[in-house]
Amino acid sequence: MNWYPIFLREMLQFKKKLFRLGYIFTSMMVPLLYLIAFGLGLGRSVQVAGGSYFNYLLPGLVAMSSMNNSYNWIASGLNLSRLYFKTFQVLVQAPIAPTSIIAGYVVSGMVRGLFASVMIILVGLLAGSGFHLSLIFILTLFLNCFLFSNLGVIVGMITKSHEDTSTYANFFILPMVFFSGTFFPIERMPALIKGIILCLPLTHTNILIRKTIWDDQAWLALLIMIAYAALFFIIGSRMIKNYSE
Amino acid sequence: MLYNGHVFYPAEEKMISIKNLTKDYGKVRALDSLSLEIRREEIFGLLGPNGAGKSTTIKILNTLVKPSSGRAWLDGFDVVQSPLQIKERIGVVPQENNLDRDLTAFENLKIYGLLHHIQDLGKKIEEHLRSVDLWERRNDPVQTFSGGMQRRLLIARALLGRPQILFLDEPTIGLDPQVRREIWNTIRRIRTQGGTVLLTTHYIEEAEALSDRVGILSRGKLIALDTPENLKKMVGEYVVEYVDQDGSKVYQICRTREDAQCHLLQTESEMTFRKANLEDVFVKLTGARIET
Repeated sequence: MNWYPIFLREMLQFKKKLFRLGYIFTSMMVPLLYLIAFGLGLGRSVQVAGGSYFNYLLPGLVAMSSMNNSYNWIASGLNLSRLYFKTFQVLVQAPIAPTSIIAGYVVSGMVRGLFASVMIILVGLLAGSGFHLSLIFILTLFLNCFLFSNLGVIVGMITKSHEDTSTYANFFILPMVFFSGTFFPIERMPALIKGIILCLPLTHTNILIRKTIWDDQAWLALLIMIAYAALFFIIGSRMIKNYSE
Repeated sequence: MLYNGHVFYPAEEKMISIKNLTKDYGKVRALDSLSLEIRREEIFGLLGPNGAGKSTTIKILNTLVKPSSGRAWLDGFDVVQSPLQIKERIGVVPQENNLDRDLTAFENLKIYGLLHHIQDLGKKIEEHLRSVDLWERRNDPVQTFSGGMQRRLLIARALLGRPQILFLDEPTIGLDPQVRREIWNTIRRIRTQGGTVLLTTHYIEEAEALSDRVGILSRGKLIALDTPENLKKMVGEYVVEYVDQDGSKVYQICRTREDAQCHLLQTESEMTFRKANLEDVFVKLTGARIET
């Protein structure tokens, strides 16, 4: 339970931000715009995979939103804590293992990602989506939040200024949102680009989150997500262990 | 170089041992082969101007910075090889305010206490917040506190786990004289309770008032080490300052009162005659001043 104080600290800060007017709307704005513009607007006249586009889009937006919120909360918060507020010093000077520090951050990032996901799902249900919660969906959602929270730790530790976190978001996270199957099936992409897309972790989240049965593709996507998550956790832990100002 | 105080203590008396500690940041050498020993229940002051290597020394000792070469031990544990054992023994008051500003004073101490596995936490938080006169403000966010209150909270937090070694990096920087003296009293109390204190400062008065021994750093090197009184005696106990007939400023450190009086007879202009302080020791050794 050595991770708990870090989790508590992050949650206390989350709670204070949550009660500030506009916070929920700000964090929900981008996925809601996509949902309304693409899902309710364009989606009424488009069919994907034999179903409505709105039903296709909603799980993708949940994956995107959980990724963004988990990743951004940790990457940005850790970067500020390390470089500007210096509060990260308090954590690395505590007699706890580096894995406890990363675990505390990651669990808090997951809470944030899950919170945003629940909001999107509620909006989708209110808008008349035929969305069903399945065990695969829930597992994928948790794993996606875990994976991108760990990536957030790495970026938060590696960046040398707060502006750098935006650079990583613009050059890695944003393209991933558009090309990893959030808005359209990746099968439609040219073979070369498809090969690159299949290397991106969010692609496998989008594959798995839309599955209703455990077929070979689902198992492969799950294994790749677990491998990415484990790799990011190990790298993040080592970065915290080797931290030196 | 004044190294008369550089004695080597028996192992059971040593709390901090530093041997040839060096830290390079790229091509800049922040700390250059520092060696010294600090005994248990000692208040040791590291004095020097900004950039002398004081904070780097403290950050290496409290595991925030890895040294480029050399070694250091706290209570017998190597700072690089045994970081967990080091962290169990130390309390740190950093130069920068690293409190969580959005959180309350109580929340800041609670998280610190949980991180350090402190038992009976609620009671200890109350005791420490009362000791720095912040109990009534425990539920206020830290960002609403004055600079002095935040500094006091940092000290209360560092003392919460009753550390064996307390590091204070410029503990009273930017504070008014009254708050500064309150913090001095707190630091003295730590020693009487069995703690060892390593503090850095560029305030001469602070180093003299608090330290059993002082190490003077300049450009990463230890240039003097002894008790404040001995250091002053070694360079001369009196200082004369005046403007001579050419209009140039004369600054003279004299060994005896009689030497100083000889200088006083040489001018009829306004003059200053005072006891030497650690600033004069620094001037004598480097030709520059500490306080800016």
